[in-house]
Amino acid sequence: MADPQTLNETLQSQIGEQDGAREKLLRLCRQNKLAVVSAVVILLILLMAVFAPLIAPYGEAEQDALNRLQPPSAEHWFGTDELGRDVFSRVLYGSRLSLAIGILPSIVSLAIGILAGLLAGYFGGWLDYIIMRIADVMLSIPSLLLAMVVMYTLGSSTVNLFVALSMVGWASVARVVRSQTLSIKESEYVEAARSIGVSRWTIMRRHILPNCIPSLIVLFTLNVPSAILSESSLSFLGIGAQPPAASWGLIVNQAKQFLFTQPWLCLAPCVAIMIVVLAFNFLGDGLRDVLDPYRKNQ
Amino acid sequence: MKSVLKRIVGTIPVLIGVVLLIFIMLRIIPGNAAAVLLGEHVDQATIDRLTQSMGLNDPVIVQFFKYIGNALQGDLGESYRYSRPVTEMILEAFPYTVELALLAALFAWVLGLAAGVVAAIRQNRLLDRLFMGASLMGVSMPIFMTSLLLQYFLAFRLEWFPLTMEQGSLVSMVLPAIALGWNSAGSVARMTRSSLIEVMQADYIDTARAKGLGRRAVILGHALKNSMLPVITMMALQLSSMLSGAVITESVFAIPGIGRLATTAINNRDMPVLQGTVLFTTVLVIAGNLLADLLYGVLDPRIRKEV
Amino acid sequence: MKRLLSVALSAALLAGVLTGCGGGNTTGSSASAGSGASAETASGGDGTLRLAWAADIQTMDVHKTTDNYMVPLNIFDRLFEIENDENGTPQLVNSLAADYTVSEDGLTYDFTLQEGVTFSDGTPLTANDVKYTFTRMISLPESVQSSMGSMIAGAAELQAGTAQELTGITVTDETHFTITLTAPFAGFLYELATPACSIMSEANVTAAGDSFGLDPAQTIGSGPYVVTSWTRDSGMVLDLNPNYWGETPDVTHVEISVVPDASTMSMMFQSGELDILDCDYIDSAVVDSTYRTQYADQIVTGNRLATTYLALNENIEPLGDVRVRKAIQMAIDRQTILDSVYSGDGSLVDGIYPEGLIGYSADNQGWLTYDPEGAKALLAEAGYADGFAMELASDSSASASVLLVLQIIQQNLTDVGIQAEIVSYDEASWLDTRNSGEMNSFVATWTADYNDPDNFIYTFFGNADNTRSRSLNYANTEVMDRVAAAREITEESARLAEYAALEKQIVQEDAAWVPLLCRTHLFVLGDRVVSYTPHWAGYSDFSFTAVDLV
Repeated sequence: MADPQTLNETLQSQIGEQDGAREKLLRLCRQNKLAVVSAVVILLILLMAVFAPLIAPYGEAEQDALNRLQPPSAEHWFGTDELGRDVFSRVLYGSRLSLAIGILPSIVSLAIGILAGLLAGYFGGWLDYIIMRIADVMLSIPSLLLAMVVMYTLGSSTVNLFVALSMVGWASVARVVRSQTLSIKESEYVEAARSIGVSRWTIMRRHILPNCIPSLIVLFTLNVPSAILSESSLSFLGIGAQPPAASWGLIVNQAKQFLFTQPWLCLAPCVAIMIVVLAFNFLGDGLRDVLDPYRKNQ
Repeated sequence: MKSVLKRIVGTIPVLIGVVLLIFIMLRIIPGNAAAVLLGEHVDQATIDRLTQSMGLNDPVIVQFFKYIGNALQGDLGESYRYSRPVTEMILEAFPYTVELALLAALFAWVLGLAAGVVAAIRQNRLLDRLFMGASLMGVSMPIFMTSLLLQYFLAFRLEWFPLTMEQGSLVSMVLPAIALGWNSAGSVARMTRSSLIEVMQADYIDTARAKGLGRRAVILGHALKNSMLPVITMMALQLSSMLSGAVITESVFAIPGIGRLATTAINNRDMPVLQGTVLFTTVLVIAGNLLADLLYGVLDPRIRKEV
Repeated sequence: MKRLLSVALSAALLAGVLTGCGGGNTTGSSASAGSGASAETASGGDGTLRLAWAADIQTMDVHKTTDNYMVPLNIFDRLFEIENDENGTPQLVNSLAADYTVSEDGLTYDFTLQEGVTFSDGTPLTANDVKYTFTRMISLPESVQSSMGSMIAGAAELQAGTAQELTGITVTDETHFTITLTAPFAGFLYELATPACSIMSEANVTAAGDSFGLDPAQTIGSGPYVVTSWTRDSGMVLDLNPNYWGETPDVTHVEISVVPDASTMSMMFQSGELDILDCDYIDSAVVDSTYRTQYADQIVTGNRLATTYLALNENIEPLGDVRVRKAIQMAIDRQTILDSVYSGDGSLVDGIYPEGLIGYSADNQGWLTYDPEGAKALLAEAGYADGFAMELASDSSASASVLLVLQIIQQNLTDVGIQAEIVSYDEASWLDTRNSGEMNSFVATWTADYNDPDNFIYTFFGNADNTRSRSLNYANTEVMDRVAAAREITEESARLAEYAALEKQIVQEDAAWVPLLCRTHLFVLGDRVVSYTPHWAGYSDFSFTAVDLV
């Protein structure tokens, strides 16, 4: 009897899933400089977020009542807000919450979506029907309204914000995973694996999931910016993250009343949002061009 | 025809699911809605009386079927705060949101299409950069910032437009529509660009070029027409994100539309209104998706034959 | 900050000189607006006043709301009104009540109604309408104002359902009626002047049914205006009541828009689309940088009979320890709050009553100073040298400035070792939690309903129910009994002395709350407004008769 492990590897190399990774990366670098630059920018911002306490000249909530609403200066690069807090430091610290708001819910929805998609695609039948109808339901409700309903029910807090945003993104992930699963399920090598007694979970994990990864990476990079923007909208409605926590959305919203008198307060957090959103979008586009099997001909 | 019907019937379980989901999500809130309504100066007996009359004592499952039964007859319940039928309030607000969304779609379409076409024919030239930059700004900026900036510069400084919506004035809807549509323009532009490029690689375009047609004529005459399909579909699918964006724009420009209804319902803890509003917008989205599907079938002869 | 304050003061005074409308930080504004101005209406503008609300009102029925008073103040009348005299002191003036007498024991009031008053549909006002109004206020299941009539004899029975009729009001004839109280109550006539006691038409209310308060055509009163149209979330139009019994006011047509966004509202004012800008909607820093500079001579300052306080819930440990509460009182830097969040527009209060309220005691001021070291020492003495964790609750619809106040308080508490977390509640669970007495510390403002210390102290410390529903859970029952008893003291100076003593006991000895500040209320007037007298208690809602137009 053949060793399943060896067989798996043979099968894998046959469909050419692993040999392309490095080549794809190289192609991405050659073809789409914008995507590469975006990746670097995202990396830099991630580093900034991690090392915020080391970089920030002031504390996140350090108040200085005597220096309120100062214009940008050598001490305060982006000026100070209405409590005399350093806007530069707040934007730095804010990157932590904002990136977390972008990334964590996207990971959670990825996990839920993968599980739901695999179950639906692999087992089919009524399970498939129910899961996909739930996904349809989630996709039909406008995302901001869905998040509003969740916040209405759970109450406004930073933790509930994560819950709300996680609920929004999983359905599209589930759809992608399901369709991939369906197309691979019947393929010969999966049949072969099944016939030699490889368990269902192993098949899903080893054969089906790797095939979904390119699409999932793309979906993930596009989910992150939309979560960040949703958070800023919820902040605008007063049901997002709660002060004194600093997220970019919250900082912009507090500063927006000074848009026409002290515009610098808005500028930094707003530009930060735009940069991150654009960077993730460009990266997502670039990755899609390279990774998405349906677009290989481009 | 049969397939159309099948597609329509297919939305029914989704609709039921939507009602069920919203219903469950809004009923698991702790606290008695009646007590909240009555405020501070009342005794328990009064609260109990109102709880009874609001039907909040029934089992949730009974409430659910009552709600579905009434909803099918167009009755979405009564607002806790305004004591008015929710259906009436939604129908009052709906025309504003429709007007806003249609104008926004028009703007997104025009800017996005222009940017996409320019990008495809004049790749990486200045004009391309400008158009793409403009449409990307709309995608990446929080929508309330777009709204506030437009309002400040075009309405307050330059006085080209009214600051807020005025009853019966189409001009006063222009700025909110731009703010809302700008958000979708980026997606339209990217979609137009990539489908144009794809179409232009097709054989028949080569044939047209070979016949001596100019590059521009080919793009506008053939390629654009044929690349319309995915763009149209995408516009219909954008309805959902537009309704999300409307929540914000309606607030900034003081438009009494569906989005405002939802926002005030949240602030007032007016559950029937929130429930009705979310249900109504979701039905709109489902209808939009259905329309996109059907349009696809009508516009693309290949698909028509297949189904 | 001192300089700013003096600029503000002189600006307000200048505005007073220019417009003939006195204004100042402590006296409030005064002007005899409205009366006699009607003759000039035709020569000036068109009599249109344009205002903005940040959110639409929920109802025009004053029995079902405790904060939507703009419509009740303008389309209904009350038996009495409160208006500022030349010195800016609020005075009780007759309105629908032409005359009254009080019995020796202070229990029985005989009223005579104004002759010839009709509602806007032409039906005459009778004493029966008055009785109906109070009966409805007390017995309507959804009434949120029933406490306003609680001292009328028979109110408790009526509310409990054991009586069908309000026995405390007897109608003698069309224009005469008598109100009997269960106990003497010095603030009674002032209470009759509150918006809650607006007189309704029995015929109208019964005919309108559920539409009363919701449908403009079916919501009518005897006041100077009628609501012509109301588009939800969009705006409201009011016009003169053709059958109004009083003098025709200067403002003949009012357009109110609902503008949720503060920057939008500010831009609308600067574009001339609004005639009066209520600065409560605008951040004080914006008021400073924009309105203090470009509109300095158009700012009107109104007194506000309101106390902003930090509630301390004695049921939530360790706030049950008086030393901890005293430490928190000392830990909060109130001057910084006033200066940075409110640009110094207002004053610190050290008790319960705001300056300008009857019963305000100067002796009870000045004892509380910012002393973080002292606070730490007290905390150490109480066994909390390492501090503790507590919650600062905020309402999700709280204004940006309240959130800033909370953040400063949070910082102040951190400085003495108390870890405070700001937790946001939506409006409904906020009310729910607070009424059940389970809300943690929070910042709130109480504005006078009527000019009497009772309105403040009884609301918070009148009995166990009251103090629980404010989430204070004040434990000193002996003091609460005295608060209730003080209502019945008929000798005025003795009554006020008792209120001052109670204030001292509650705030200084028992440290039941942290008194914060009292803000003035700023308004900016557009070019078309000649004068405007802010509401005597500093409400945002006011009677349009307080406005004179060009």
